[in-house]
Amino acid sequence: MSEQNNGISRRSVLKGAAVGGLGIAAGGSLLAGCGSKDVGPMKWGGRGLEESSVKWHEAVKAAYEKASGNTVTLNMNDANAFQNNLSQYLQGTPDDGFDWMAGYRMQFYADQGLLEDVSSVWDEIGDQFADSYKIASTGSDGKQYFLPTSWYPWGLHYRKSTMTELGLDPENIATWDDFMKMLEATKKKGLIGYALGDKGGWEAMGTFDILNARINGYQFHVDLLAGKEKWTDAKVAEVFKHFEMMIPYMNKNVLDISWEGMRDLLLQKKCGAMLMGSWFSGDFKTLSQADYDDLWIVPFPEINPEHGRDTIDAPIDGLCVAANGENIEGGKELVKWLASKEGMQARLDSGNTFTSANKGQDTSSYDPFQKQQLAVMGEAKYITQFLDRDTRQDFANPVVAPAIQNFLRAPKDINKILESVQAQWDALPAL
Amino acid sequence: MTTLVKVPEYKNTQKTKDRIISIIIGFFALAWLFPIAWTIWSSLRPYNDVIANGVFSVPKTLNFENYYNAIRLMKLPMYLTNSFLITFPAVVLTLGFGSLIAFVVSRYSFKFNVALLLFFTAGNLLPQQLVFIPLFKMYLWIGDLFGNRALLYDNILGVVLIHVAFQLGFATFVLSSYLKTIPKEISESAMVDGASVWVHYTQIILPLLRPPLASLAVLMTTWIYNDFFWALVLMKSDSKRPITSALARLQGEFVTDFNLLAAGAIVAALPTLLIFILLRKQFVSGLTLGSTKG
Repeated sequence: MSEQNNGISRRSVLKGAAVGGLGIAAGGSLLAGCGSKDVGPMKWGGRGLEESSVKWHEAVKAAYEKASGNTVTLNMNDANAFQNNLSQYLQGTPDDGFDWMAGYRMQFYADQGLLEDVSSVWDEIGDQFADSYKIASTGSDGKQYFLPTSWYPWGLHYRKSTMTELGLDPENIATWDDFMKMLEATKKKGLIGYALGDKGGWEAMGTFDILNARINGYQFHVDLLAGKEKWTDAKVAEVFKHFEMMIPYMNKNVLDISWEGMRDLLLQKKCGAMLMGSWFSGDFKTLSQADYDDLWIVPFPEINPEHGRDTIDAPIDGLCVAANGENIEGGKELVKWLASKEGMQARLDSGNTFTSANKGQDTSSYDPFQKQQLAVMGEAKYITQFLDRDTRQDFANPVVAPAIQNFLRAPKDINKILESVQAQWDALPAL
Repeated sequence: MTTLVKVPEYKNTQKTKDRIISIIIGFFALAWLFPIAWTIWSSLRPYNDVIANGVFSVPKTLNFENYYNAIRLMKLPMYLTNSFLITFPAVVLTLGFGSLIAFVVSRYSFKFNVALLLFFTAGNLLPQQLVFIPLFKMYLWIGDLFGNRALLYDNILGVVLIHVAFQLGFATFVLSSYLKTIPKEISESAMVDGASVWVHYTQIILPLLRPPLASLAVLMTTWIYNDFFWALVLMKSDSKRPITSALARLQGEFVTDFNLLAAGAIVAALPTLLIFILLRKQFVSGLTLGSTKG
């Protein structure tokens, strides 16, 4: 794969140099591939260089080539570097289809005209997805720019064995009072009730998200993150009042540990429950199958009966087509197949453990924990993407993250902190 | 001198001074060594052990499994080839251009002589992060001009050129300072003997520059080999990136096995260490030669 890529680039360099030497200003795209099926060679930009990610990408690529007869060049990238450099990637020489995320992170680039409208693909295979996915795939102009493939829930994770020992049943916690009783009972046994780490600044956003959605509802949460509601609203203060009630049951070193510290508390049976995205479950499996089997997830309990448990943070990963790609039609064909039931099945068959975003997916290969994840996500009416995916990037990490950290440091100052958050939002330049 | 040392009080104070200095130096040496020692220590521990018992626990097992896995996963031949394709031309070009400029600014006096040297040195002080967006746009623009966006962007050539541009200032500065310590009479007699500019440069100056060139070569190789930034922002394809990017193969989007990563980091650092050990004589002599003649 790699040698081939190098070869191509070297040749195209020579070609470029030759064209330049002749003084010809070559314009227009080299590939004007058309036709319904035969769309010419296409490129797929994959995220994640770790072994497991490369493995399933290659398996799915091979399956697509076999099914369609098209040739795909797969370019795998380091997930974090890719995310940080997406702007350059899309302005430069992007692959035709590439792995990306739904919601605001997609909209931001769609608004700049860097993503290709894939509404036509939605017309073809849109019935394979729930409506909430279409909302998450839609840009601010009402067109779709994204195709969902996989997702994971943010829920209360705990060890079944620990809860049994404590005589608790988290699956039947109905209200906030029950939840507080559970935390109290865990604390009495000498364990941490609610493990939290916020060294990275983003970890505690999950707790804020779910409290806000439970207390004030989906619409208020979304509007708040879009700047349509004010952080100085009494409703937001109410959220932090609940947050503050949980602090006595947390570990004392919240600001000193990152998500790995939280995970370790659960792994080492030092805590009752923690709110986290289910992706960390792989570490339980790494440790042992028994630890993985012990892990369970339930939705965060209801607080305000008006909203029940209707919202969940379940970040959706998927695919986009780059507007600057060489073969846009090819890119559309590619993402259509990759996100379809067949494509997702090829990915499951390769041994990748994830929960498919496709409605009709055969879930027989899922283990009980995966099925439980699906159940947790399935009961929610509204899906949010997580705070740092749902709002401006120049707001989430630079403003909200330190605000929550300051709150955890000094809960009494919350009014001052919220005023500052609002002031900083107001000071942001219009997009 | 000798009488002074024989005075017992003086001798003792000198000894205590030495001891205090040794302790301070020893402390700093340990502070420098600690991260490296910790990396090696981590690289020998299995991830399982660390997540089960914590980072500061006493290890149950120590083995080379992380090294085995790191080497297996890192695709070393591909990344090392890329590193070589970037580092070698970049170092050769930098030293070549640097010595040419140093030769001109130190041997010929013209109006902008000092200004030119300052210009090169000052350019070296610009932070890379400041120029990368304009540079990125420029690369794309040049590429579009020739009808091929991948002419400089996402191409090893582009990374080599920016390394040359950035390192040239430092190379020029060091080489010209060194040349200024060499008597001009050598050059004058060469000119009297009828040496052309080119002969003057290749036959007289270059041989004289060998020590600083050797030490600069070691330094530049290490810097360019260790660069992560330019390869990351100016190249889209991971398959063209150097060894520093290989470490990304060892970490996931969310979860990272830091023990495996530690082993990978050591593997990636080995070639520079090797170069340094092989060429350390040239390196040290190059550094001191310049200083004593001042």
